[in-house]
Amino acid sequence: MRVVIAEDLALLRDGLTRLLRDNGFDVVAAVTDGDALVTTVLLEKPDIAIVDVRLPPSFRDEGVRAALTLRERAPDTAVLIVSQYVEQAYAAELLADGRGGLGYLLKDRIMDVDDFVAAVRRVAEGGTALDPEVVAQLLSRRGPLDVLSPRELEVLGLMAEGRSNAAIASRLVLTVGAVEKHVANIFTKLRLPPSGEDHRRVLAVLAYLRA
Amino acid sequence: MIRRTLKTLLFLLAAIPLGGIGLAALIAGWVLVATLAITPLAVPALVAFRVAIGGVARLDATLANRLLGTSVQPVATSPGPSGFWNSGLNVLRDTAFWRQQVYVALRLSLGFGLAVAEWSLVAGSLGLISLPIWYRWTRYTQVVPGVYVRTLGHALLWVPVGLAGLALAVALTRPIASGWRFLARTLLGDMGTMSLRAHALAYGMLNVLLVVVWAATTRGYFWPEWTMIGLGLPLAVHASLVFGRRALTRHALIAAGAAVFFTLVWAVTSRGYFWPLWPMLGFALSLGTHAIFEVTRRGERISELETTRAGAVEQQETDLERIERDLHDGAQARLVALGMSLGMAEQKLASDPAAAQQLLAEARQGTREALEELRSLARGIHPPVLTDRGLEAAISAIADRTPLRVDVTVDVPRRPPRAVETAAYFVVVEALANAGKHAHAQHVTVDVRTEDGELVAEVVDDGAGGANAEGSGLRGLARRVEALDGTLAVTSPAGGPTTIRAMIPCAS
Repeated sequence: MRVVIAEDLALLRDGLTRLLRDNGFDVVAAVTDGDALVTTVLLEKPDIAIVDVRLPPSFRDEGVRAALTLRERAPDTAVLIVSQYVEQAYAAELLADGRGGLGYLLKDRIMDVDDFVAAVRRVAEGGTALDPEVVAQLLSRRGPLDVLSPRELEVLGLMAEGRSNAAIASRLVLTVGAVEKHVANIFTKLRLPPSGEDHRRVLAVLAYLRA
Repeated sequence: MIRRTLKTLLFLLAAIPLGGIGLAALIAGWVLVATLAITPLAVPALVAFRVAIGGVARLDATLANRLLGTSVQPVATSPGPSGFWNSGLNVLRDTAFWRQQVYVALRLSLGFGLAVAEWSLVAGSLGLISLPIWYRWTRYTQVVPGVYVRTLGHALLWVPVGLAGLALAVALTRPIASGWRFLARTLLGDMGTMSLRAHALAYGMLNVLLVVVWAATTRGYFWPEWTMIGLGLPLAVHASLVFGRRALTRHALIAAGAAVFFTLVWAVTSRGYFWPLWPMLGFALSLGTHAIFEVTRRGERISELETTRAGAVEQQETDLERIERDLHDGAQARLVALGMSLGMAEQKLASDPAAAQQLLAEARQGTREALEELRSLARGIHPPVLTDRGLEAAISAIADRTPLRVDVTVDVPRRPPRAVETAAYFVVVEALANAGKHAHAQHVTVDVRTEDGELVAEVVDDGAGGANAEGSGLRGLARRVEALDGTLAVTSPAGGPTTIRAMIPCAS
């Protein structure tokens, strides 16, 4: 699996490169700013780009902007944003096109190496990975979610992070069938059109929550 | 139709008593204020004058609402900075005060003229219509100079003229009423503020008109000088409030220009007696008043700046101390513990791999906690999303992180200067924190908008109230807001609700 990294801090850039290589990824390039990222991705056509939010020259949200450019100009490359902080506003912009192959995680999550590696694979394969903190912010909104039971809320949270039914089942110690039933209930209660693919249904829920 | 006409006529008639009262208030007020101008008593005189003008304006607004069908609510002076001198300045700064004075003056001058014209027309027309009845009791009835009515035939001839006059009088009430409605709305109602440009334009147009009238009629004595001086004084005060520092220079230039203008008028007209001496004295007087005003204002401004600057510096010190303490007790301590865990894991790696793994897991957990603490500390210093996406995104994010039910409205079309934005953001953050922590509120509304060039951030909660405006959190906020020339108002009666409102000027 071919990866391009955009991270301006050498310490983290090298650490991330080593971590990914150790786990069998092919890090084809590690760049330090948004423009270089776009050029490199267009040239190398990697499976996934891992991008820091804050990059030179302005150290604001170059990473998010570069990611949005990539979504448009390199639709076959998945994008995983990693950052010291997560903001719902960025998540909303990144999710706006309703396509999968997208992740947004706190850098803290890299410490859980196995989980992080799984998330990179999942995103590269067209799935989603949203940080639990973003999900928690979305789910904390009162109103539309009052109709869900606590268990359904839990399932919805894990679903929004991008986990598959099987993963949710093992996490909550349930059978896959029980999870499927909860998912069906959530969709009925929120009056969302049913959808088969994992990332589609996540995006449907997120679009619903943002509205 | 008849009702409306009668109402308009009645409204015009009321100009006679009301205009009189208004003019008396106007003259008495300014004479009093001007006489006391060199003593501090001018301030209460000004405030009393404001109340009197406001009363006349309310009376007139009620009359206009009843008789002309407007719906005007005269505005009172909005509370500005408090303090003895400020209460006087607030009155002078209040454009409603000036507009209401213009209205009162017009009510007597223009309103009186219109009343006389309309009522003469009505009375005269009615006289002509009834001429066939009463002509026989007077010996020689003179309708217009040189025309006498002696017979019924003659009298009947005048009836259509009377009818036409009455029709004209009735027809005239409509434009008069609508014109007066416009005056009442613009001068009495709440139409925001009259711009200096409009004020100067009105002043200029009126004086040009008077000069034209003067040129076409009397010539000789240049009487328009009196309106120029009389109306020039409020214009000068208005301009000084708008222009601020450079106003005195402009005022001096205007005065010099006027002196040259009057001298020229004198040179091409009367010569002889040098009457421009008087308007020049008038201008010198207003310029002097302005200069004194300016000097006092600067003094006040300096002491205000000294206070807010000291507050800002002290607040910065407090904030830095708090950050240092948070780092010391939080992230730093966690990193020390982390180092210890790693050191012990290294020791045990060979002898007791199971314990080493346990220690490594603890170290990872410690790292996560340190990161979380640093993140919340960083957000407390300056939230990145505020810089990147502005107030709406930042406030929505903080509202989502609060366990309370929060309704957020942000209506800020143009991004305010950074410092203003940050201050407003922290006002909302602190108010939300207080609402949750101390007031045990359930529901909070946050409203951020721009109003007359000020950013207004208002947070209202339904909690228990009793917030202490002198507590460290709110005191710190007030200092931050005051350093930007803004104000922070906290109203929190026991039992709630609590309203925290910050108003910060946006002009950079």
